[in-house]
Amino acid sequence: MRTGARAFHRLNQQNSISPRLTIAAGLVALFVAIPLGYIFFRAVTGEPEVWQRLLQTRIWTLLGNTLLLVAAVTSGALVTGVSMAWITERTDLPGRGIFRWMLALPLAIPAYIGGILHLTLLRSRGGLIPQLLESLFGQPIPTPSPLGFWGAAFILTIFTYPYVYLLSAAAFRSLHASLEEAARTFGRTPWQTLWRVTLPALRPGLIAGALLVALDILAEYGTVALLRYETFSSAIFVQLSGRYDRSAASVLSGVLVTLAIVILWGELRLQGQARFTQMESNWRPAPRHGLGKWKLPAFLLILGVISASLLVPVSVLAAWSIGAFLDPKTLASVFRTGSQGFGSFAWNSLWSSGLAAILAVTLSLPVALLSVRYPNRFSRFISRFCQVGYAIPGVVIALSLVLLVNRLLPFLYATPLVVVIAYVLRHMPQAVRASESALGQLSPSLEEAARTLGRTSLQTLFQITLPLVLPGLLAGGALVFLTSLKELPATLLLRPAGFDTLAVRVWVWAEDGFYMQAAPAALLLVLVSAIPLSFLLRREQVFK
Amino acid sequence: MTTLEVQNLTKHFTGSGEAAVNNVSFALQNSEILALVGPSGCGKTTTLRLIAGLERPDDGVIRLNDRVVASKNTFIPPEKRGLGMVFQDHALFPHLTVFENVAFGLRRQTQKQLHETTTEMLTLVGLAHLAKRYPHALSGGERQRVALARALAPRPVLILMDEPFSSLDADLRHAVREQVRGILKSMCATVVFVTHDQEEALYMGDRLAVFQHGQMEQIGKPEQIFHASTTRFVAEFIGGSDFLTGETAPDGIRTAIGVLPQPLDLPMWTPVEIALRADDVDFTVDSAGNGMIAERFFRGAFNVYRLRLDTGQILHACKSHTELISPGARVRAYISAEHSLAVFWKGQAVSNESR
Repeated sequence: MRTGARAFHRLNQQNSISPRLTIAAGLVALFVAIPLGYIFFRAVTGEPEVWQRLLQTRIWTLLGNTLLLVAAVTSGALVTGVSMAWITERTDLPGRGIFRWMLALPLAIPAYIGGILHLTLLRSRGGLIPQLLESLFGQPIPTPSPLGFWGAAFILTIFTYPYVYLLSAAAFRSLHASLEEAARTFGRTPWQTLWRVTLPALRPGLIAGALLVALDILAEYGTVALLRYETFSSAIFVQLSGRYDRSAASVLSGVLVTLAIVILWGELRLQGQARFTQMESNWRPAPRHGLGKWKLPAFLLILGVISASLLVPVSVLAAWSIGAFLDPKTLASVFRTGSQGFGSFAWNSLWSSGLAAILAVTLSLPVALLSVRYPNRFSRFISRFCQVGYAIPGVVIALSLVLLVNRLLPFLYATPLVVVIAYVLRHMPQAVRASESALGQLSPSLEEAARTLGRTSLQTLFQITLPLVLPGLLAGGALVFLTSLKELPATLLLRPAGFDTLAVRVWVWAEDGFYMQAAPAALLLVLVSAIPLSFLLRREQVFK
Repeated sequence: MTTLEVQNLTKHFTGSGEAAVNNVSFALQNSEILALVGPSGCGKTTTLRLIAGLERPDDGVIRLNDRVVASKNTFIPPEKRGLGMVFQDHALFPHLTVFENVAFGLRRQTQKQLHETTTEMLTLVGLAHLAKRYPHALSGGERQRVALARALAPRPVLILMDEPFSSLDADLRHAVREQVRGILKSMCATVVFVTHDQEEALYMGDRLAVFQHGQMEQIGKPEQIFHASTTRFVAEFIGGSDFLTGETAPDGIRTAIGVLPQPLDLPMWTPVEIALRADDVDFTVDSAGNGMIAERFFRGAFNVYRLRLDTGQILHACKSHTELISPGARVRAYISAEHSLAVFWKGQAVSNESR
């Protein structure tokens, strides 16, 4: 057990700011600012008739659809995530250790792949389950359709609840036993204690989880497109790829980004001061509740969640992959050589995501160093600013880069580098947060000691700071790598012809109905994602 | 020979109205230990960091061996000042062994020299046998000594120590500080030492500088600071004195517990305060009396009584442990000191020259 992570933010004091560092961080912020600023510029300067047409026809429907989905999935993920966390962290259910992993691992499955699987299983015409039921009973049995709002809400909930699960499990863990004991000594029943003390104490974790889910849903393209539920992201995608109406896309993007920024701002307001639950050295875990006769229902509940989100998708993928390998024709088309081969999809995925991870972590360093070592209004602004990428959906980044690169850097257009830039912009916040938290745990006196022992600031950075924060930086890199691997809409819009990643290939094949052919690629994508994910999970308190 | 000279040093931090260090000047002779002492936030640590070059002064001049290292136009970065610093949290590099930590500051030396110097320093602090360990495998006192060896190894002109013992347990602290003072003196090191503990300052410092609100209140030898405090704050912070109000009169200073026959260069009927330590006050049990015992504290060889005078003022008095008087008893308190006492008018000492 770690004894209380110490944060070394210096308060009320401020070193003389290093100009080199300020310039470097400023340049990074500028790099992040340009695409965002450009979208707003295009949206505001969009032709009035485009605005008018969209206001009259599309915007209100899209706004309603998007907000409804965000609300439904966020509350679904909160309920699922918190109840799963309560069962694995606070009850005596057997097999908790394995369930923890299985509840977190769906993060390695992109929601659209889950969507494809559930669609092939459940769709009313030709779905595997309706077919099975029909052959069993001799007549069609009505099954719930995965299409539309409810389908999208269901699929997105079961693939985003792990965010809430991880954060609330960590919060349940860090709760001090005496907190609940104190409530009990004041005459509260366990049930009252849960509602009045435990859940409010979890609030920071819950809000952070809800924010991640909400922003994820705003940015989601693949699942909603697949399940034919129109949101801002999918509408922008259609405008961009099908109709080539960039003015309309800009206007819609402006509205979408505003929506995301409102959510981000709301999180900051709600979080207030209660951001961290401090684990002190005299921490001891709260006692577990005995489930008694509720053991079986709890077990079935967890089983249901992990079946839908992990077991069924992975086994179906595995079964289809085996099927694909057994069928020579499919096998041949999976392993076609040259730029169309399976190896090249995997390689493209790996190098573009890997490069994005390295770039994002490198760029995040000056920002994190400035905001952690020289905390003031300016450095806080830079750091916050570099985190707006959270709020910019992939389709919007794609649109912005299409417009900007065409105009300013035509030589970059239709190269894989644009895809990498999109990944970096979109996932910069994860790198910045990871670097900040790593640097925040490093005592500044270590750097100062190196200075008094004759090292320049640059030597200190390379000999002391970087070696010591390396694990934290690697975690940030792993997170960027993982999310870039799964990224779909920006890759689809920006990739040059012939640049296929695993995600793109799975999507294209599945759209054309070649599920068998898509399965090996999808399975590989899930397995490759599981590697950085398990590295990240191992760093978490809950999995130690 | 003057090693360190600080003139009119001033530092503001943005966002706070008061200067963290306000017009501080002092000089330090070769192989002298100066203890900067004061309550937290008094500017002592900032002064140390300014000398180290970890902060940039807004005003004033710092000279090391007659070389200007910080002034309005000059700023020598810390790595070029040739100082050694011991940090509050020791700041040992966790990814380096004890040996590598101590050798970190030794550069431009042959491997052989480097090995010799490091071993010599580790032997000096008595840790040669732990050279291959990593810092996390050391006890608090051992870490403290590694930090000292690391700071001493490059033979710096000046050692800076920022509350080096505050992370140690009370027992260990006394043992370690005796060792550390011995090592520093044996090397004839010139040291600026920061602490918030007045007892530690009195023990470690050849001289003390008492800080409050960014200003240096008094600098001098421990005895001077203790017995001849120039301000009320110093008397309170270093001496733990009570302050008895009184008023100048023809026969001395009139107070609630009698007249102190000590002439002052002040106009008649000026309100003043007399600093009284527990051994300056005594009492007799007397039902008429001028106060009562509020509480008794057992201190081993003697008892300390907290007295509440009828005027409401609180004084402390000590008596030997053979005599026990219960709280609540009426007593007559009086000044028992046979030496003259420090008297303050508007916070400043008056008529110190009589002692």
